[in-house]
Amino acid sequence: MMATKPDTIYRAFDRKASAIVEFTLRQYRTRTSTWVVLGVGFTALALIFLIYIDVMSSEFDSYDNDGDSLDYDNDGYPSGQEIRLGTDPWDSESHPGLFDPPVEPDPVSMYINEDGFDWDITSKLGKQTAGYDDDGDCLNSDKTASQKDTNDNGVPCDIVVEFYRTSDGQIYSEIDADFGVDEDPDEDAYSREAIHLAFVLSIGKLGFVLLLGIFLPLFMATGLIRDEMTSGTMHYMLAKPIARSEVFLYRTLGYLGIVWPYVIALGILGALISGFVGPSESFFRFADLGVWLAIIFATMMATLVYGMLFNALGVFWKYGIILAIPFAAWELGMALLSMGVPDATILRFSVVGWALMIVDAAAMMVWPNLDLFIVMGWWGGGEGGVFKSLDGAAPLDFFSSKPGMGLSAFSATIVATLVLLFQAAILWFIGGALFKGKEIQ
Amino acid sequence: MIPDFDQQGKAQTKEWAPEVSAPAILLENVSKSYGRIFALSNITLALNGGVTGVLGMNGAGKSTLFNILMGKLKVSQGSVKLFGTNPWKNTAPYARVGFVPEHEKLYDWMTGHGFVSTFARLNGLTRDEAKIEADRVLNFVGLTDVAHKKMGQYSKGMRQRAKIAHALVNDPELIILDEPLQGCDPLARTTIMNVIRELGRMGRTVLVSSHILQEIERITEQIVILHQGRLLALGNLHAIRERLDQIPHRISIQAENPKALAKNVIDIDEVFGISFPDGKNLSIQTHNLGAIHSQLPRIIVENDHKITSIDNPDDDLASILGYLTSGGGA
Repeated sequence: MMATKPDTIYRAFDRKASAIVEFTLRQYRTRTSTWVVLGVGFTALALIFLIYIDVMSSEFDSYDNDGDSLDYDNDGYPSGQEIRLGTDPWDSESHPGLFDPPVEPDPVSMYINEDGFDWDITSKLGKQTAGYDDDGDCLNSDKTASQKDTNDNGVPCDIVVEFYRTSDGQIYSEIDADFGVDEDPDEDAYSREAIHLAFVLSIGKLGFVLLLGIFLPLFMATGLIRDEMTSGTMHYMLAKPIARSEVFLYRTLGYLGIVWPYVIALGILGALISGFVGPSESFFRFADLGVWLAIIFATMMATLVYGMLFNALGVFWKYGIILAIPFAAWELGMALLSMGVPDATILRFSVVGWALMIVDAAAMMVWPNLDLFIVMGWWGGGEGGVFKSLDGAAPLDFFSSKPGMGLSAFSATIVATLVLLFQAAILWFIGGALFKGKEIQ
Repeated sequence: MIPDFDQQGKAQTKEWAPEVSAPAILLENVSKSYGRIFALSNITLALNGGVTGVLGMNGAGKSTLFNILMGKLKVSQGSVKLFGTNPWKNTAPYARVGFVPEHEKLYDWMTGHGFVSTFARLNGLTRDEAKIEADRVLNFVGLTDVAHKKMGQYSKGMRQRAKIAHALVNDPELIILDEPLQGCDPLARTTIMNVIRELGRMGRTVLVSSHILQEIERITEQIVILHQGRLLALGNLHAIRERLDQIPHRISIQAENPKALAKNVIDIDEVFGISFPDGKNLSIQTHNLGAIHSQLPRIIVENDHKITSIDNPDDDLASILGYLTSGGGA
């Protein structure tokens, strides 16, 4: 009769998996809670994006870093024009109006943001020279040759940028500029770019990897097995020739079947918004797509590991969601720590630490001059009239980090991915074992 | 110790003997305890083929027994074998088992057909095979008409039948049904009983639990009685019943003229007492129920009595249990 059927469950994995995955997806669809959770996640991110769009659509105040738009001697000519044309900006009797033919005063706005960054170099260790004195307040001044070369590199009116590694492996930078070079950059251009990058990183790290990465599994994965056990419907599934760890895995895959497309969709939406709104020469900013790809991937990995973890916690205890909360708090702490101290060993004992490493590594690959850009912003506008680091440099510096462990961007991505997959596999094993040992009434 | 099956009548004929050596169900000295409370105590039981009714009051251990068989609970002592395999360690034997749990809860958002075919795929069927099999079993339990309706709209009887269809979809050799008749309307009850009897005729091993003697009686003669976690009796219901008939028993007859009937009935030797609970009823006390039932029809017909109903108020599980536990033995 039917005795020919082999007494093993190690067959038809694909059929069993597709049945449970499909079933789980349909079950999610019928639940209001699913739509509430997805809706809340969308709303939270939409609010962050609205703030981003609002910031991007506003003007960043420009100011006169070197003070050369002012007319110190009240002769009607801005100091910058007087310096450029060789008259004395402190003497009202000396101004270009006395030339033959007389020169009309330039508008004041010409001497704001008139000497921007001309740094055609990359972020790399060692000394590099950069910069060009656009407004001539170094080149055309009546200073001596040595006064024009205060950084002593033999070239007048330039900037020496140095990245160096200290004995503890940290990378620092130093900027030594000749007086009057690149001292009045365009605040709007820098800050727009820096705040855009800071937003992409902060939305990616906090909004996607941390918030979605924990919030979605917390409410969607904790009950994957537990709810069925509580309601008694688990009996139908467990009456079939299927191992419990298989059920555990396939249920988690079903959860990923709804969470991953959701994360991908939101990630694409984010990439589109930041692509259209972010500063760009053309109509769309393609430069960040690689980072968005990493953000999506890192969030998918986070939802995978947390999904396994919270599913296992649900199996372990009826109120597994309570056990999940300390994990969520720990991960929040680790996420913040990773931004300040990306090399902290304790980060290796978290999920988010590894997931964020993927984003950091991608940022390093996609924006190779990110470090230089941050250093530029901190240095701000040179040594002119008002010293102030540029807006956007501080948040960008906070939200960007090195992948840590002294790894290159590429190997950091590989290592972090493998570690996360390993964590997921271990948690599957633990969850499956917990489930297998569970008596079900 | 494996119990003796000789008294189980048709349960041991050749035509449905499985091709495997291991019996469908083999329990040896199985106990299940929660702390000091024993849900099952030292059960030894082997079943292979035929329909077996598991009788017991609520809390007697019927569901515990089934959950142990289905690998949901781990035994505290003893060994459980389902087709020769320990179900707690290995779910492989479930390829040959169908289980209808006691739980009412179903996936209300699924259609009956969706439910049966989805879970059939866990037996390793393809999507198409599963659909065909689902159609077959839904027809078998008489749910074809509502197969594509959401189960949330099903009546209790339909829900029970959907659960049975789910259990039958892999064409199992062993079918375990936990209280399948509970809460069903008479029509569904009849359908389900027919389905179970049909499965027995098809040569399957069927285990069906109930706390109502009459239900089991209509399905099978082979019974297991559980009481407070112990296996109280095992064997043919009629054999148990015959011995039960020897103990004092009441027969309640509703008649037009109970007093006239009593005059005729008192002549039967086995009657040792007659009472009139009210104007329409006659209650007879006897030590031999069978003898009374064999003579009663003749007396009624010969004397032209008008009878509304004949009832055996002591003929239920509680009185059987009372008898068995009061030292009667089975």
